[in-house]
Amino acid sequence: MSIEYYIKQLKVTGTISRMSERLINFSLSRPVLVYWLLLVLTIAAGALIVNIEVDTDPENMLSPDEPARVFHNQVKSDFMLSDIIVVGAVAREQKSIFNQKSLADLKRLSDSILKLEGVKTEDVNSLSTIDNIEQADQGTIRFEWMMPEEPVSESQAQSIGNKSLRLPFVVNSLVSGDQKAATIYVPILDKNESYRIAQDIRGEVAKLSNSNDYYITGLPVAEDTFGFEMFVQMGISAPLAAAVIYLLMLYFFRSASLVAAPMVVAMSCVIIIMGAMIGLGYTVHIMSSMIPIFLMPIAVVDSVHVMSEFADRYKPGERAEKVIREVTGHLFQPMLFTSVTSAAGFFSLAITPIPPVQIFGVFVGCGILLAFLVTIFFVPAYVSRMSESALVNMQSKLHSGNESKSLIAKTLPSWGRFSVKNSKLIVLFCSVTVIVSVYGIFKIQINDNPVRWFKQNHEIRIADRILNQHFAGTYDAHLVFDFEEKKRLQESWSESIKQLANSTSLDTETVKRLNEVLKNILVSPHQVLAVADDLAFEATEKEMHILEKIILESEKAIVGLKKFTEPEMLAYIEKLQAYLLTSGYVGKSNSVVDLIKTVNRELRSGDDRDFIIPDSQAAVAQTLLQFQSSHRPQDLWHFVTPDYTSSLVWLQLTSGDNQHMAQVVETVNQYIVDHPLPSGVSVNWAGKAYLNLIWQDKMVSGMADSLMSAFVIVLVMMIFLFRSVIYGLLAMLPLSITIVFMYGMIGWTGKYYDMPIAVLSALTLGLSVDFAIHFIERTRTYYQQTGSWNETLSLMFKEPATAISRNALVIALGFTPLLLAPLVPYITVGAFLATIMAVSAMVTIIVLPASFNLLKVFLFKTKAS
Amino acid sequence: MTSQKISTLKYLSSLKFLLVLVGCISSPILFAKNINDDELTADEIVVKASLASYYGGNDGRTMARMKIVDANGRTQLRQFTILRKDVEEGGKQKFLVVFSRPTDVAGTVFMVHKKPGSQDDRWLYLPALDLVKRISAGDKRTSFVGAHYFYEDVSGRSPDEDKHELVMESEAFYQMRHTPKEPTSVEFSYYLTWIDKKTFLPVKIQYFDASNKATRLIEAVETINVQGIPTVVRAKVSNLTDGSYTLMEFKKMTYDLGIDEDVFTESALRNPPKKWLDFN
Repeated sequence: MSIEYYIKQLKVTGTISRMSERLINFSLSRPVLVYWLLLVLTIAAGALIVNIEVDTDPENMLSPDEPARVFHNQVKSDFMLSDIIVVGAVAREQKSIFNQKSLADLKRLSDSILKLEGVKTEDVNSLSTIDNIEQADQGTIRFEWMMPEEPVSESQAQSIGNKSLRLPFVVNSLVSGDQKAATIYVPILDKNESYRIAQDIRGEVAKLSNSNDYYITGLPVAEDTFGFEMFVQMGISAPLAAAVIYLLMLYFFRSASLVAAPMVVAMSCVIIIMGAMIGLGYTVHIMSSMIPIFLMPIAVVDSVHVMSEFADRYKPGERAEKVIREVTGHLFQPMLFTSVTSAAGFFSLAITPIPPVQIFGVFVGCGILLAFLVTIFFVPAYVSRMSESALVNMQSKLHSGNESKSLIAKTLPSWGRFSVKNSKLIVLFCSVTVIVSVYGIFKIQINDNPVRWFKQNHEIRIADRILNQHFAGTYDAHLVFDFEEKKRLQESWSESIKQLANSTSLDTETVKRLNEVLKNILVSPHQVLAVADDLAFEATEKEMHILEKIILESEKAIVGLKKFTEPEMLAYIEKLQAYLLTSGYVGKSNSVVDLIKTVNRELRSGDDRDFIIPDSQAAVAQTLLQFQSSHRPQDLWHFVTPDYTSSLVWLQLTSGDNQHMAQVVETVNQYIVDHPLPSGVSVNWAGKAYLNLIWQDKMVSGMADSLMSAFVIVLVMMIFLFRSVIYGLLAMLPLSITIVFMYGMIGWTGKYYDMPIAVLSALTLGLSVDFAIHFIERTRTYYQQTGSWNETLSLMFKEPATAISRNALVIALGFTPLLLAPLVPYITVGAFLATIMAVSAMVTIIVLPASFNLLKVFLFKTKAS
Repeated sequence: MTSQKISTLKYLSSLKFLLVLVGCISSPILFAKNINDDELTADEIVVKASLASYYGGNDGRTMARMKIVDANGRTQLRQFTILRKDVEEGGKQKFLVVFSRPTDVAGTVFMVHKKPGSQDDRWLYLPALDLVKRISAGDKRTSFVGAHYFYEDVSGRSPDEDKHELVMESEAFYQMRHTPKEPTSVEFSYYLTWIDKKTFLPVKIQYFDASNKATRLIEAVETINVQGIPTVVRAKVSNLTDGSYTLMEFKKMTYDLGIDEDVFTESALRNPPKKWLDFN
């Protein structure tokens, strides 16, 4: 017990009580100053809230320098990819979308989308913006718009159908394989505009004849819509939470003027913290949008303790100031510790690698500490200035209430007796629960999907379901092949060119001009070739010899770098694509290989037998030259970089579940193990579905770290607070059981472990340790006073247990307005937190007395002996 | 679709092309010193401009290099030789475009028999596929081998397809506005040209979309005299939306070489005429 010895030597208590005295003195002697300070601070911070900026981009779950995110954005830039809104049209009555009316509507809609502000016009993909490549007459190849005008007859519509079903790029991307539906892919310049653009598109849809049903989906719309509804939910849930808390406290204390104090504490804390966060330039992310609703119930908890005890102790005729001084002084230490431990729980979120979670944790943590300070400064000042009549009024109401005793007060003592009588049974029951729960934890399925953040019947969920039924998938992942030899090849080329460029056979002017280009580190053979070619026009015979060498070397380098025009490389991609289809989650994949095969087919016979990769690098290059002679040559650069050293395979996934993405990644990894990549080639992932998987992985491991560290920190704090290892461990018991039970439940019920669930662990820890602190602290105080375990127990189940239960109810019910939110993550958090608070309060009240009873020999030995 | 195509097939001459592929190899025309500029109608200016830059001597040859630069600044090169022969002044013309770079497309040949008032004949030869292919006479506003130039810029857009107005006349330029007669057949809603009063070469062509936004720009960057003829040797087409562009440069231009007519036959595609492709 040497640790305990040292802990006991610490003169913590003395320091704290001196500090508390000073603070309370200040509050009671200068109440007006306290009022003004709080008011000014609140208004100043509140003014900053107008600068609010909402951020719903799940990409921001990763820090900007996260390698996966950097790569993703590099890929987006290299392949000129945009965020895409997918508009789906499903023929309403007709069996096929290829009827005159449906296509005419589609053309009209596509045309009006092209006119919308914020749309990247040249990349819009629909039947009316794409090219058809086909055989016209014998030996003739033709590029033409697939649907340049609205079809005027059924046969025209059918012919568009026949043509488009021949193009692999179109089938199951732009028209469904069942011919029932067609899509318009709308790339947008700024993803933060997607909600507005989606609304504009809906407006255009309303102008069409009703031959099709329309659905709008795509991750940017989901994200931006989420942002919009986030505002709605903040507008609904936060005031509702305030109302619920207010009513609940009014019920407990029966005095509107008394209850006003905790409400002031809660409101000012929420406003100051939100104002500070926004003022510091942080965006309001899905996580931080929950700060008000988290802070409000937690902020009133301290005041509830003070008010509870004040209401119990105050007798008419007494000086309110004297009573509140006693009460606050007496509660100062447990309140400080509960605030610090709760804050520690939230601060621990700062060690997760997810920026929005860090911000959330830090600001809620600060909010809790602020609430403590505001409680200490404001509540005593407020109560001391309450009029005698208001206090008498409250007292009389409380007394009449006390006579009929609240449900809580009536039932609690029997809980205590039950707990002590059946302590062994309770411990056994808890042990079994923990074992079963731990088993459940191993069954937890980690999964998330931003589209699932909407309720089942939300239009985005419906669109998602319908479009993924008809098409090969509306979720994107990008498999990117890189020719890693590129660097080495380019270096050896530039080495040899540098030697040639400084040859003595060259004029000084020529040497100068060549070196000018070569000094650029990223010089490409194209650039050198252009300069050397220019120089060659006026070159002497002597120079010509060298320049020709430079030209030849550069030409060789250009072709040598074109890895993704080599038939063997293309064949590898072709086989991998075929294999991916067997994984079950990839509906379709598109690559430069599909482009090449299609053009090759039409250049040759137009028959399927020519739907193959040409047999030489030059043949591939010449085929691609033809593709570039279409209306949309730029489409090629979405699949391969202009130097052909990188190539992208666009995977259409039917599900945006991270689980399924993980399976696709696993499938590709396995394929690469079985079929090694061509030498010098590497493969990497990009795309939103993949990024979601990455931040989820980070969140899972990050949350485990955060939970562990919070656990250790809180445990250490408990040991210091109680100056006892055994009490410290006991204090951790209720919350440990609660957390294990909660995650066990998630495992058993098959609910996915997603972002909101992950965040809950650290919160639970910070919040429910409060109950244990108050319970243990008060138990020890009573035991010191009475020296009898039985008496302590019966006292404990009066005022302290009531206060704990009240607080549990305030917090639990305070979160319930989240259940009314239109968005699933808020509902999840609300439901779970309410449950957790209730469970952990119950566990505290039942398990702690049972444990005390079993361990009383050790716990109370000093006094007993 | 079909109706719109037929209209695009009638060429008398091309406005856009003049800057680019032909401008450099057109034969001299006598600048009508005796014509009072003030009396020219819009249509006359356009015809004169197209004649100035498009029809002239009997034939021409040039080396051409296109530098295609995308929005990210990445460059691709295309190098080719153009042979041109006029069959009749102001009427039929024949073109042969033989690619030399990048080396993997070397030997690719593109041939046009331009037949104003009727459909052009276009051919393609791809050596690595050993394939001669006719290109359907369809929409010609497709990209020319990935550049920002269109095939129509190569083979010509007929002044008959647009309505012309003289918007403004300055000391140096005529500023013209051209509106397509069949708006559905093209991607622009109108375009403006600035025609040099001395040379009648357009120095700038700007295309506008339906919302009056300039989307595409063709500029004559450098003009020199070749055998006494003002000739554009550097021209640039820019995509004004994303900043990408193609720079076309001409070298070793010669007019009136007396190129044989049989150079422009289908059978010559597989065996491009070395005699005319050798610049030394």
